[in-house]
Amino acid sequence: MKALAAARRILAETLEGAQIAAENLVAARLRSFLTTLGIVIGVMTVIAIVAIIQGLNKSFEGQIATLGAHTLYVSKWAWFAEGRDAWWELRNRKDLGAKELQAVEREATLATAIAPMAMTQADLKRDTFEAPNVQLIGTNAQYLTTGGGTVGAGRFLAETDVELTRSTAVIGADVADRLFPGLQPGQVLGRKLMIGEVPFQVVGVMERRGQLLGMNMDANAMVPYTAFLRHFGGKRSLNLAVSGEPDNLSALEDQVVEILRRVRRVPPEKKDDFTLNRQEQFLRTYNQLTGSLYAVAFGVGLITLIVGGIGIMNIMIVSVTERTREIGVRRALGARRTTILLQFLVESSIVAAIGGAIGTALGLGLAQVVALASPLAATVSASAVALGIGFSAAVGLVFGSWPAWRAARLDPVEALRHE
Amino acid sequence: MSAVGEPLIVVESLHRHYTVGGEVVRALDGVSFGITRGEWVAIVGQSGSGKSTLMNVLGCLDTPTSGTYRLNGADVQGLTDDQLASLRNKEIGFVFQTFQLLPRATALGNVMLPLVYRGVPKRQRRAMAEEALAAVGLTNRLNHRPNELSGGQRQRVAIARALVGQPSMLLADEPTGNLDSATGEEIIRLFSELHHRGHTILLVTHEPKLAARCPRAIRLMDGHVVADGAGAAVAGLGTSAPVPA
Ligand SMILES: Nc1ncnc2c1ncn2[C@@H]1O[C@H](COP(=O)(O)OP(=O)(O)OP(=O)(O)O)[C@@H](O)[C@H]1O
Ligand SMILES: [Mg+2]
Repeated sequence: MKALAAARRILAETLEGAQIAAENLVAARLRSFLTTLGIVIGVMTVIAIVAIIQGLNKSFEGQIATLGAHTLYVSKWAWFAEGRDAWWELRNRKDLGAKELQAVEREATLATAIAPMAMTQADLKRDTFEAPNVQLIGTNAQYLTTGGGTVGAGRFLAETDVELTRSTAVIGADVADRLFPGLQPGQVLGRKLMIGEVPFQVVGVMERRGQLLGMNMDANAMVPYTAFLRHFGGKRSLNLAVSGEPDNLSALEDQVVEILRRVRRVPPEKKDDFTLNRQEQFLRTYNQLTGSLYAVAFGVGLITLIVGGIGIMNIMIVSVTERTREIGVRRALGARRTTILLQFLVESSIVAAIGGAIGTALGLGLAQVVALASPLAATVSASAVALGIGFSAAVGLVFGSWPAWRAARLDPVEALRHE
Repeated sequence: MSAVGEPLIVVESLHRHYTVGGEVVRALDGVSFGITRGEWVAIVGQSGSGKSTLMNVLGCLDTPTSGTYRLNGADVQGLTDDQLASLRNKEIGFVFQTFQLLPRATALGNVMLPLVYRGVPKRQRRAMAEEALAAVGLTNRLNHRPNELSGGQRQRVAIARALVGQPSMLLADEPTGNLDSATGEEIIRLFSELHHRGHTILLVTHEPKLAARCPRAIRLMDGHVVADGAGAAVAGLGTSAPVPA
C-alpha cells in the first residue's frame, strides 16, 4: 500500500510539474520562445544536415546498386587514384584489348558474366533531332548481368549482334526522349538513328536509372562492341566488367589479376598495370565524405545545444527566483525537496523538448527546401526525429539540474518571506 | 494519534537563535507550554516578540536551536527533511497573512495541492477539495483563480487548503492582517465555527479584541512567554488579571 501511494504521489507530482510547465509556457510565451531559440536553431541545423545526408545515402545506395555489387570493373584507369598512382602513370599503362577479354573469357572460371565496355562520347541524330555527348558503350549480351541496368522496351543486344557485327543499338531513356520526343519507348523500336556518321537500328530502350554522383545514367547508348570497334576505332582501351558469386568475389579477383598479369606479361616484381575497380570503393569514398559531414553536424549540434542549454539554465534560474514564494508554499504544504527538484527538472526538459520538436520541424522544412532547390534528396528516419527531441530533453535535464537543485535547497521559511 | 490525556503539542525551553553580523538574536528564548486537542489559542505580543518564529517551529518549517517539541506524542527533533515534509502535509494546516495561493491555479487546484503531495488519487482529491471549499462557503467559486477572488474569498480558499488534509491543527499567522475589519470578522467567525467543530487552532494576532475572543491566549515578549491564560485576560481587555507564566 505504501509503495503504491508513493508511486501515485510521484506520478501525480510529475503530472503536476508538467502542468505547471505548460502553464508557465503559456503565461510567458515570448520568453519561452526566446529561451528555446538556441535549442531550436541547434536541432534545426542538425536535423537538416542529417536529413540531407540520409537522403543522399538513400539515393546513393539506390544508384550504387545499379553498378553491380558483385562486379569487378577492370580498367587501365582507377576510379579512385591513390596518391601514388599519379595520373601520368595510369596514362602510360598499356591499353586493355581483345587479348585480355578473350583470356578472361577463356580462363576466369569463377566469373558468372563478362562484358567488355569500350567507351566514347558520341553525338546521336535522327532527322533534325539531336542528342549530343551521349556515352556510347560497345559491349555484349552479358552487360545487363554485370549491372548495366534493365531493358524497358524491346530487347538488349544479343550474342548474334556481336558475332555478326550488327548495327543495332539499345538507347538510354534520355536519348529516346531527345531523339523521339513524344513517342513511347515501344514505338521507338525498329527506328533508325545516326551515331556519328553511321546508321544504327534501335532494338531496345533502357529503363530510366537517374543520376549517379551527378552523372546522367540515361544519356547512353549500347552497341555491339564488334560494331563499336569497327566504326568508332579499335585503338581505345577496353574496360571489362566481370561478375562473380558474392561469396567468392575475392577469389575471382585473384583469378582475374593472375590472368591479366600473365597475358600482359607483368614481371613479378612490378605492380599491376591495370586496376580492378569495385562498387564498394564508391561506398568507401562516399562514407568518408558523409562521415565528415556527420562530424560537422555533430559539432554544430553540440555547440548550439550547449548555447541553448545555457539559455535554458539562465531562464530556469530566473524562474526559480520568481517563484521562490511558490516554492515556499509548496514546501509548507508537504512537498519534499525531491518534489521541487522533479518539478523544475520536468519543466526544463519539457521546455527543451518543445524547442527540440520545433527545431526538428523547421529542420525538416529546411531540408525539403534544400531538396527542392538542389539535386540533393532529403529523407529523415523516425529515429533521427526521436533523437532530436530526446536529446533536447536531455539537454534541458542537464542544464536545468543546477537551478532545480537550487530551488530544492531553498529554506521554506526564507522562501515564504521572499518578496 | 496521541495517547489519551497527552497534549497535542508540548514545547519545553524552546530556543531559536539567529546570528546576525556576529550578534545573537534570541527570537525564542526558552518557551514552554502545552496545547491540547480542540483548543483555540491566540498568540499575541509586540512586533518582533517571536510569534512568527514560534509558528514556524510549531509548523515544522523551522527547527529550534535547542529545546524539545513533541507533536502528537512524538519528538520532532531529529526527523529528516522528508519526514518533516510529510508531517507538515498530514498534521499541519497553514494559513498565512498574505494568503500564499498559487496565482495560476484555480481555487480547486490550490486546495487539491496538499493531497497531491500525499498521493491521493485524482478523483478523491477533487471530491475532498470540493468538500473543503463547501465548508468555507465557496461552492460557487471552484474554478476561479486568486486574482478573480476578493481578499476574504482568497483567505477562505487558503483555509480550505489548510483543512482539506484533515490536519491535527491549523496555524494561522495574522490571517486577518491584510483584510478590512468586516472581512476579518467573517474570517474570525469561520475560525470560531471550526473551533466548535473540534479543530485545534493557533492564531497569531495583533488585535487585542480578537485575542479576547479566544478561550486562551499566550503573550510573548522578547522570546519569552510572559502571560498564558484566558484570552480576554491576556489581551488585557477582560476583568481577570493575566496569569504570569
Ligand atoms: N531569518 C532571520 N534572521 C535573523 N533574525 C531573524 C530572522 N527571523 C526573525 N528574526 C528576528 O527574530 C525576532 C522575532 O521575529 P518574528 O518574525 O518571530 O517576530 P513577530 O513576533 O512575528 O513580529 P511581527 O508581529 O512583526 O510579525 C525579531 O527580532 C527578528 O528580527
Ligand atoms: Mg510575524
